[in-house]
Amino acid sequence: MPESTALRVNGAQVTVTTEPRTSLARVLREQLRLTSVKLACERGECGACTVLIDGAPRMSCITPARLVRRDVVTAEGLGEEAHDLQAAFADHGAFQCGFCTSGQLVHAAAILREELPAGVELEPFVRQRLSGNICRCTGYNGLVDAVCAVAEERR
Amino acid sequence: MSIGDRIRPIDWRERSRGTVDYAADLAAPAHLHAAVLRSPHPYARLLELDVGRAERMPGVRAVLTHRDFPPDALYVHRGGPLSDRPPLARDVVRNVGQEIVAVAADTREQAEAACRAVRVRYRPLRAPLTIAAALAPGARALHVRTTGERNVAVRWTADWGDVAAGRAAAVHTVEGSFVYPSVSHAVMEPNTTLAAWDAEREVLELWTSTQSPWFIVKEVAHLLGLSREQVICREVAVGGGFGAKSKISEHEVLAAALARKAGTPVLLALTREEEFAANKPRHRFETHLRTSADADGRLRLFEADIRVDNGAYNHMGSSVMRVGVITLGSMYRPDGVSFDARLVDTATQAGGQFRGYGTPQVSLAVESQVDELAERLGIDPIELRLRNLGAEWTTTLCGYEVTTNRLGACLEAVRDGLDWNGRRADRTPGRGLGVAVGMHGSGAYAYEFANRADAAVDVYENGGVRVRFGGADAGTGQRTILAQVAAHELGVDPADVDVLSMDGEQTPFDLGAWSSRGTHMTGSSVGQAARELAEKLKDLAREKLGPGDVVLAGGHAVRGEGSVSLGDLVRLSPDSRDGVLSHETSYVLEGTEMLTPDRDTANLSPTYAFAAHGAEVQVDRRTGKVTVLDYVAAHDVGQAINPTLVEGQITGGAAMGIGAALGEEIVREGGRVVNSAYVNYALPRSADLPRIRPVIVGGSDPAGPYGAKSVGEMSIIPPGAAIVNAIYDAVGVRIRELPATPDKILAALAEQEGRVRRFGLWRRPDRWWVALVRWAYPRGLHHVLHRWGTGFGPGVGPRPDEADAAVPAEELVVADTVSAATAALAAGGVVVGGGTDVLTEARLHPSRPSRLVSVAELTELRVLRWRDDGGVEIGAAVTLAELATELAASAPAVAAAVRTIASPQIRNAATVGGNLVQEKRCWFFRNGFPCYKRNGATSPCYALLGDHRFQHAAVGAHRCQAVTPSDLATVLLAYDAEVVIAGTAGRRTVSLADFYTGPGETVLGPTDVVVRLCVPAAALRRRGAFEKLALYTGDFSTASVALTAAIDDEGGWTDVRLVLGAVAPTPWRLTTVERAVDGTVPRVAELRRLVDAELDRHGHPLPGNVWKLDAVAGLAETAAERLLTTEGVLR
Ligand code: FES
Ligand code: FES
Repeated sequence: MPESTALRVNGAQVTVTTEPRTSLARVLREQLRLTSVKLACERGECGACTVLIDGAPRMSCITPARLVRRDVVTAEGLGEEAHDLQAAFADHGAFQCGFCTSGQLVHAAAILREELPAGVELEPFVRQRLSGNICRCTGYNGLVDAVCAVAEERR
Repeated sequence: MSIGDRIRPIDWRERSRGTVDYAADLAAPAHLHAAVLRSPHPYARLLELDVGRAERMPGVRAVLTHRDFPPDALYVHRGGPLSDRPPLARDVVRNVGQEIVAVAADTREQAEAACRAVRVRYRPLRAPLTIAAALAPGARALHVRTTGERNVAVRWTADWGDVAAGRAAAVHTVEGSFVYPSVSHAVMEPNTTLAAWDAEREVLELWTSTQSPWFIVKEVAHLLGLSREQVICREVAVGGGFGAKSKISEHEVLAAALARKAGTPVLLALTREEEFAANKPRHRFETHLRTSADADGRLRLFEADIRVDNGAYNHMGSSVMRVGVITLGSMYRPDGVSFDARLVDTATQAGGQFRGYGTPQVSLAVESQVDELAERLGIDPIELRLRNLGAEWTTTLCGYEVTTNRLGACLEAVRDGLDWNGRRADRTPGRGLGVAVGMHGSGAYAYEFANRADAAVDVYENGGVRVRFGGADAGTGQRTILAQVAAHELGVDPADVDVLSMDGEQTPFDLGAWSSRGTHMTGSSVGQAARELAEKLKDLAREKLGPGDVVLAGGHAVRGEGSVSLGDLVRLSPDSRDGVLSHETSYVLEGTEMLTPDRDTANLSPTYAFAAHGAEVQVDRRTGKVTVLDYVAAHDVGQAINPTLVEGQITGGAAMGIGAALGEEIVREGGRVVNSAYVNYALPRSADLPRIRPVIVGGSDPAGPYGAKSVGEMSIIPPGAAIVNAIYDAVGVRIRELPATPDKILAALAEQEGRVRRFGLWRRPDRWWVALVRWAYPRGLHHVLHRWGTGFGPGVGPRPDEADAAVPAEELVVADTVSAATAALAAGGVVVGGGTDVLTEARLHPSRPSRLVSVAELTELRVLRWRDDGGVEIGAAVTLAELATELAASAPAVAAAVRTIASPQIRNAATVGGNLVQEKRCWFFRNGFPCYKRNGATSPCYALLGDHRFQHAAVGAHRCQAVTPSDLATVLLAYDAEVVIAGTAGRRTVSLADFYTGPGETVLGPTDVVVRLCVPAAALRRRGAFEKLALYTGDFSTASVALTAAIDDEGGWTDVRLVLGAVAPTPWRLTTVERAVDGTVPRVAELRRLVDAELDRHGHPLPGNVWKLDAVAGLAETAAERLLTTEGVLR
């Protein structure tokens, strides 16, 4: 049965209509027109639909919207936090077609909020963390370089 | 000056934020959504097609069948007798996935339901599924072909040069058969079209994911009986092409016809499964090659027999085959080339255009054999290639008129970049270096008008500039390149240049971005348009500033001290319209030639690009896993117009080529694609690749625009051979069939080392029945079960008649106590934990329970608690990410195991309980096969005859060959974990060892809920290690090992647990080995011997997964080593 569901998205309180199996991604795209949330597999396997829920990156395509209780942030909602990252993406060739990019940006923003664990090198850490976000265009060099560059700058 | 600058992509802000619109983003709520009914059979006659019920389904607005097209409607494709594909199947289907009916409805779900309500009756025909089967005597023909040979669509044979001289000069000859399989583009944006029909104007508008709108317009107009002027593509962002979107697919015409029929705009977006299983992948090439050289290492002769898998229809197979074959006569300068090539029809999805277009396939063979000859001759592989380079400004055997050629410099760059000589002199075991070279044109003269491109440039009164071109940029950065070109000619900042592409009303003629022609053709046309416009502007400026030299710079025309802005010049010009001065021009390329039926050599391209790639790999002799440690890709691109974009093309293509070398392939069973999901498709994730190091060797080609040559396709050509050559250098195993997956390498190493396993089945009566069934499968049992047995089962997916039956109202219960959860389950329903599987399962197998019971918010299940005795209780709804953090210090092996599971995003959602109870991952079971476990006892297990190399059991399987996929189960079993279960009758505790009853099957009853896991303190005091072999970062285990032991000060082991994952139906403890090493200070070799003995005693592998026993034994060695040497944490 369709129901009203309250969500907090990009800082705003919204009410959407959901079925039990409506995904968060569909709600964001179709009802809230937040189309930075891309659907490339709808199976939780590629990362194109990555959003932050309570700050943690999640695959919104397989997340039942009704089970979301915390703040949702999409690429549109990253605001200034993403500015230097976007510029680094552009300078390092981190995107080509751009279809995976908003998911990468969201995930990268979350990575940059974290402390680098002790004894871990930055580049392999970033490569591991971004492994849930497929990019078929770039070969990942640019993405990894951009995230590392911003991490160094912000330090 | 902006040529050669690292300009940011022109729309970088929007594109990086995700706010540019791709076709699916434009769908409005009022638009319709389409779905396609596809053939489930590889080859069948259609006896009946009735869409009556589908038309009456709720929400349905239009249903399309072949009757909506003229009876002889075919795609044009290559034209003439090669046209063979109808837009929708008429009386016969020739591949699983062929389009039969298309439906537009208010929602995608309604359209899919209507597809299921279509009644189709098929008479299956014997289907030739492989090249060998199609060419076998007695094979059934798929089409009537003009070659006169059954299932041969095109045959091309020729001798080039002096074959006899080559033969006479040959001193060393190597010969072998190479396979480059069918691989998927796996573009991130699925192919998508939004179509709108304006009935009043009789105009069709399309927003479609394409690299070349011209071809879309041509085919759509042709099939819908419209003029080309009536079909208008509009600009839209395109999410990756790589060839997949360079010609028509099927969604464009279907969306267009549905929109016209329904009178409402229609969105047709392929699902990821359709993208893998029904779109057009790379053509599989089977290349038998003989290469001969003389004693000095000069290549003298190539002789090839090439068979290309066309799939069920001619798409671009004929030209892909030609371009592939041309490789033999392009790069080197042998005396002669002799070939016999056949394009073979098989009842599989048609092959299509894919970056490299046949060249990577043939290059694999050529470049492997050049290495084989180098070894034979005792010459360094780079040196041998340098000796055989073609010269600049010469004509090759295949008719290419090469201009500049800096391949020598590329090879030197690889030699320096990899420290080739140093590393080859100083060998590390298991490491090896490989090199391969390649060549590719810059736009082939493959069609009429392919040598022409038009472009327009506008200057506005505000000084802004706009480029208009009719091609499309699927992500290569072509729009940015064109902005740079226009900026360069007009003396403005590239940031002030706007680019409009692919608009049928506003952009001039251009065949689009394929065959690496974007920069050459459109770069030339835009350059010419901007140059001619610049002259006009200068003339205008002279009127104002006086005669003499005028330069355009900084948005102004400057003459000496005087200057006038471009905007003012626009105002001055009598040719300006509405404040815009426009100039359109046509660039025609001279000197290139087409291949025609009566000539088999031609100068297809204006310039040719070259590259040399070098790889350093590490081969794990224990598992067969190849890791690329270093990769240098040196390219002769002439002048790089934007080095950042060029490097992006190099690294992206190299990554894709490495993927194909090491993991990617489309796997089919009975003609149906088995691995139609990213999870089953081993394309590289970021941690799977090293930093790829692009090198642009510099140069400038007089025949290219601004000195530029192509790059987009070049980069995917050398990786295949570079990697297999490096593998050979590392371990002496020559892989001739890609991908070089661990199974092939480990099997070859076993042969090399003379290792054979004997399982002594004759003395194991408990396996006799299984052995008998396995014997009977290929002898008819599989066929009977598949053809007739499956009919007795309920089928896979929703019932056709369920489509319009009242679907029970769905319900999502969020339980707040455990007893509420069990009570809710008692009324029917399934548990949802992290919810990572439930939506996918519902979409693919929507025989849905109507009630979902979420337990993720149960406070009791969310707790992770340390007991006073040092043990730990882990709530079932604790996420994997939380678990990894909590146990990082106390049980690092568990944390390490968890970090190998899926992706960070999944680990943030997936729960411990959900991971343990997840269903098997067998790709037949998951991806739509009506197997025994899905469809009941009369159905076959598809893994027995299908591809079972990676995720099926090699020990102890019965009718189902699947394994328990949970790595957590494997590792926690080594920590003596217990599971607390709540049911309607109360709580009980079972040891994890007793928890599993079969592959991904547990003791849980329908109303049971996992509450928590308990790990005793004693286990946490032991040292642990977890080792896993997976095909890519985050994949499910192909094999895994968890090992724990209490180790005393002298190094003695007690309390040992050794658990093998993914080799038996359930995690398997090797208690015999545990006992044998208990109380000893074990040596790695001894442990391996014990493990091997157990594997031989219990193993009952399938033909394709014997190697897994070696792999898992190898992992056990590595795990033991970790326990003995370090604190036992995986990297
Ligand atoms: S679309 Fe969500 S993970 Fe691929
Ligand atoms: S930029 Fe195209 S998939 Fe990443």
